[in-house]
Order: sequence, then structure tokens, then C-alpha cells
Amino acid sequence: MSQSKIGTDEWVRQYQKRRGKPAGMAGVVQRVWLLLPTWAWLALLVAAGLLFPLTTDNTYIIRVGGTIALMATLGLGLNVVVGYAGLLDLGYVAFYGIGGYAYAYLSSEFTTVHWPTWLSLIVITVLAALFGLLLGSPSLRLIGDYLAIVTLGFGQIFVQLTTSLTRVNLPGIEKPLNLTGGPNGIVNLDPVHLFGFSAQSVKDYYYVLFIVLIVVLVVVYHLNYSRIGRAWRALREDELAAETMGMPTRRLKLMAFAIGAAIAGLSGALFAAWQGAVFPSNFDITLLITLYAIIVLGGLGSLPGVLIASVIMIAVPELLRDVRFAGLLFYAGAVLTLYATLKPRWQILPLLALLALFGLIVTFLVMAATPGASALLSPPGSPVGIWIPLPANSSDAGNLAFFASIVMVLFVTRVKKHRWRFIALIPTLYLLAFAWETRMSQEPSITRLMFVGVLLVVLMIYRPNGLLGQRRVEVV
Amino acid sequence: MDLFFAQLPQQLINGLTLGAVYALIALGYSMVYGILQLLNFAHGDVYMVGAFIGYGVTVALIPESGPITSSALILALMLLAAMLGCGLLGVAIEQFAYRPLRNSPRIAPLISALGVSFFIQNAVQLTLTAQYRTYPTDQLIAPSMGFELGPARLSATRALVIVVAILLMVALQYLVRRTSLGRAMRAVAIDREAAAMMGVNIDRVIVATFFIGSALAGAAGVLTGVVFTRIWHFMGFNAGLKGFTSAVIGGIGNVPGAMLGGFLLGIIESFAVGYISSTYKDVIAFVALVIVLLVRPRGLLGARIAQKV
Repeated sequence: MSQSKIGTDEWVRQYQKRRGKPAGMAGVVQRVWLLLPTWAWLALLVAAGLLFPLTTDNTYIIRVGGTIALMATLGLGLNVVVGYAGLLDLGYVAFYGIGGYAYAYLSSEFTTVHWPTWLSLIVITVLAALFGLLLGSPSLRLIGDYLAIVTLGFGQIFVQLTTSLTRVNLPGIEKPLNLTGGPNGIVNLDPVHLFGFSAQSVKDYYYVLFIVLIVVLVVVYHLNYSRIGRAWRALREDELAAETMGMPTRRLKLMAFAIGAAIAGLSGALFAAWQGAVFPSNFDITLLITLYAIIVLGGLGSLPGVLIASVIMIAVPELLRDVRFAGLLFYAGAVLTLYATLKPRWQILPLLALLALFGLIVTFLVMAATPGASALLSPPGSPVGIWIPLPANSSDAGNLAFFASIVMVLFVTRVKKHRWRFIALIPTLYLLAFAWETRMSQEPSITRLMFVGVLLVVLMIYRPNGLLGQRRVEVV
Repeated sequence: MDLFFAQLPQQLINGLTLGAVYALIALGYSMVYGILQLLNFAHGDVYMVGAFIGYGVTVALIPESGPITSSALILALMLLAAMLGCGLLGVAIEQFAYRPLRNSPRIAPLISALGVSFFIQNAVQLTLTAQYRTYPTDQLIAPSMGFELGPARLSATRALVIVVAILLMVALQYLVRRTSLGRAMRAVAIDREAAAMMGVNIDRVIVATFFIGSALAGAAGVLTGVVFTRIWHFMGFNAGLKGFTSAVIGGIGNVPGAMLGGFLLGIIESFAVGYISSTYKDVIAFVALVIVLLVRPRGLLGARIAQKV
């Protein structure tokens, strides 16, 4: 950005200099980021993405890669609405769903319509954008949080309608119509068929999704550095000031809404083709929360942030599927958290030693109290070995320990006296480990979502701007 | 048309019952929003926890066999336990998830609230499984008890729900209008900084608001369990949405508005169920919200606040 471009004046050209320099980890990341020009990073990303499927024959891993690309594309779209324009759109997933269902209508036996893929993709993208305008134009009269609730309602309505519109009586038609297939969805969709290339395998879909991701990334990048992008940021920071400067705030908001919806619609169509089916449950609140976690974790408005965060948010839960690995990650995460929060840092060593001792004493007491208790010990292979005795009705005890450990964790963070906190940490950690072994590791899918929730709260408290987000700097 | 009028009283009773629950949820939303301008997405889950606490009390107190000695006592204990438990839960949420974010950008506490909501839902699912639980209402209140009001019937359960909800609302209105805590709450809602300068302890007012709002949500949870009997870990999401819709319809931040919005939404919904189809009740509620917001962007009783520049 050394020379002025059309539409940028001196002040705009220098705006980078007026921003706060991120400190700590983010500062390191930013310095690495500045080592190479942006196009070089993009080239690296493209190369890595294209070469990735060649490194493995495992379709499961490639599937995860495809999911990451899909989520990143969705995240980029949401980032335009929330990150750039600052509109809290909680109905975003509905546009994704509209894309999915539109694809199902245009290419399946359900409607006996089979459009060529390129045409349906274009039509769906435009259609989703129109839906965005349709929802946006009344909603944008609403102020701030009202927009959030109306869009959240819209997202819910979409799921409910797709679930329930199975027997619709229309005037002029005798039989009730099945419009959406209900909870069983619409199945047997046509695969993607573009330019003589027909996507069959997981690998093919990975490439399709990845190429779409790159296209969307380039488009969004250029949007961000255009006049419109700057106007969006101005709008986000201070709507009143932006309007005073003559920006068409309403049109800008609608544009952000429509672009986000279009990206979501396109991703939805590709998702439907990949899955070969659409179900209402594909578009529920869990996905919305995952997407928000992605853009917030990456840092609102940051494109590399979205990419990195979608890798983290999709790949880490996949790693957690293997219970043994999940256990390792859980304990490693706990130790790292302790290391990061305990001050002075060396205290972690006596803490871990005392914790180990505490566990051994508990085991010893249990063994002494109940004869023949060696059967209670953790199954072999568990990383905690003889450290945690498991009672016969371990799930009840685990539930109790789980509640107790939540209370203890909250309590520990409130203890002011350093020494007492150190002492209180020992039983807390032990309870946590017990709850993990007895309950949390047994229900990996629920535990995973729970940790997403905790992650969101902790992230907001310690890094409200996400990993790569930039702090707002007041220029007065 | 005759059919419409024949059904009207019954639909009104159903609507008032549902509306009483919505209004109680809406009050917590509205009070918190009035003071912190925060959408407390976890509020619906507090309500769900309340329903489960009430259920836990019935499990603990109702003998496996034999008659129940005092169902009034059990009902009162259910309400008290749920209100106390939820109040404490609300205070804990405020302490840990919202207080550190009080001066952050607007989106931060919202995301944090989504996180808390997700955490509570999944924690409950983890420990109590995703099963539906059924309140033993029939054991507590005989289904035959009730009042015949012409063509309609007001069962004792529904009457109880409406009466309890109205009592709680009257108590709240007294608290907000007539006590010094209520005066402090209103002052903080109007201008937090000015209130602080006048010697109002902001933190204490916020904690009290969360306690009261969450306790009302807990009561709503128990009442839902008593009248609709089925509870599960995901019930909070939809109910929270409805509670918030009620608060917005009535004018968010406005206590009588939340009550009005709750009853209105309840009546609209039961009319939708009674006269159209239960499939579209949420759609109709949502459309009602959009219409109200388009006509009165600040809700029915919301004051028009001039934007300060």
C-alpha cells in the first residue's frame, strides 16, 4: 500500500499507522504475516490446499478438509455481515439452508427438475442474495439488538417450516403438497457437474469446495479494501458519524446483508450436493454457534483469522473423537491453562506433584476402606492409571463430581489469597479429572459442544477481539 | 363464526396460561436489558434449569406409593427451590460471564451469553441425559379440580399458574415502584453513570436484577412443568426466544411492557393453535413481532428515546 489508489486519499492511505500495534502472541503473528506480501500468502494457501489431498488416501481426513473449506467459506460470508458491517445477523444459517433446499429443488427427483449445476449455482446465489434483501429491508429499520432477535427468529422459522411443510393445502390443488420432505429431508440430489467435470468422490468435492473458498476469499479481500469495505467499517464503528459524512448507511447495510446471504446460499448449495441430501437439522442453532465461534475466535473482520479459526474449530473436535486422544488433549489443555495462569510460573511443578500425591492418597484410602477394591481402578490404557479409583456406579458419582467441579472452578477463580487458591486448586483439579474420566470422556459429542461454550466465554473475557482481531483505536 | 365465539373463552384461558409463563420469562430479559443493554441469551436456559430443579423436588418429596400428604407444600417448595437456585445461577452467570465484559464492545457479552447458553444446555444433557421428564402434576393436583365457566373450563392447574404468575408480577411491580432497591434499579436503567455518582451501588443493583430476573425465570420453569408436564434440556431455547419476543413486543426495558407482551404473545399463539394450526404457531408469533416492530420500533409501551449526539 505504498501509493494512493483511486478513491483513497492521504488520510486513508496512512490509516494503518494510526492503528494500535497488537502485543504478545498477536504481535508475533502480525510480524510473521508482514514478512510476505499478501499474494504470496494466498499462493502458499492455494498450494497447501491443492497438495493436501495428495498426502493422504484416507477419505475421512479429506472429508474433514472439505468441511473446513466449507466452514471457512461460510465464515467469510458471516464475517462480511458481522465483522465488516457490524450487523448482528443471527439468521445467517437460514440463508445457508435456503441455498441447500434451492439446490435440492433444482436438481433432484423430488421436483423432477435437473438443472445443470452451473446454472443452479448462479441462480441460487442470486436467489439467496434476494432473500437477504427481503429479510434485510424490514429488519434494518430496527436498531442494533432488535435486528439480532428478528434474524434469530427468522432462522428458527426456517428450520420449523422445513420440518413441518409436508402437507400443505394450496387452493386449486386437491392433494396436500409435500414441500420440504419434513424431517426426512430431500435425498438423492444430483452431484456437482461442472465444465465436463463430475464430482464423485470426497476428493472431488474437496477440490470444488476449496476452489470456491479461494474465489470467495479473493472477492471478500477486495471488497474489504474497496470504498465499500471502508464505508462498512465506518458504519460499524459509528453509524451516526458515517451517516453524517454522507454515506448511504441503509444501502450499505443491505449490501452487506445480501453479500453475506449470497455466500451462504452458494455454500449451502455445494453442501447439499456434497451430502446428496438436505435435512432441516443441518441448519440448526449448533451450526450458527460454531460459525460465530469461528469468526469471533479468528477476530471479527480478519480474513486469515477466519481461516485459522475454522481449522481450529473443525479439526480439534475431530481429534477429540478418539477418546484416548481426547483425554490426552484434555490433560494437556489443563496443564497449559495452569501454566499460563499461575504466577509465578514455576509453581506448576509443586502443584502437579501435590496433585499426584493427592490422587495416590485418595486411591490408597479407597483401597483401604473397601476390601477387594483393586477392580475399581481405571481401566488399563487410561493415562491416569491407578490415580483415579472408579466406583461401581461411576456415572452418578461422575455427575456429582462434574457439578462440584464447576462450582469449585468458579470458586477458585474468586479466591483472592494466593496461598488458599493454590491449595483449593488441588481438589478442584482432581474432581475435574474424575468428572472427565467418569462422565465427560463417555459422551464426547456433548462434551465437545460444552467446551465450545466455555471457549466462547473464556475467549471473550481474555481476548474480546479474537486471535487476530484489531483493537479499535479512537482517533480524536 | 359461531364456532369462533364458542371456542373463544377456552382459547383465552389457554392463552393466559401460556402468556403468564412468557411474561415471567420476558420480565427477566427486559430487566437485564433495561439495566445493561445486554441480550441475556442464557436466560432461556436458566428457565430450563428451573424446570429441572422443580422436577428434582418432586422426585425427592413424592413417595413412590401412597397418598401425598400436602401437595400445596410440595408445590410451594418446588417454586421456592427453583427460584432460589435459578437466582443464584443467574448471579453466577453475571459474575463470571458478563461482569468482566462490562466495558467491552457490544458484541463481546452477546457471544459470551451464547457460550453460557450452550454450556448450560450441554452440561444438563451430559448429566441428566436428553430424555424427556414428566412432572407428576396429576398426583399433586387432581385433574378433576377446576371451574366451569360457561362453555370453557379453567382447570385448577391453569388457575394456579395464572394466579402465581400474577402474584409474582404484582410483587415485582411493588419492588420496582415502591422500594429503594427498585428506585436504584430505575435510576441505573436511565443513566448508569449518573446513578453511580448519586451513590447507587451499581454492582449490587445489577446482581439484584439478575437474581430477581432469574428467579422469575425459575418460577416460569416450574409453572411450565406443572401445566405442560413435559420438560427437557433444550426447552430453554425456544422459550427464551418467546420470552424475548414478548419483551420486545411490549417494549424492552419496560416492566409492565414485558407483562403485556407476554400475555399478548401467549394469546396470539393459542389463537394460532386453536384456529389455524399448531404447526404455524411460531411463525405467527414471529410475524406478530415483525409487525409490531415495524409499526412501533420500540415496542408497544417503549418510550421513544431521543438519541444523544
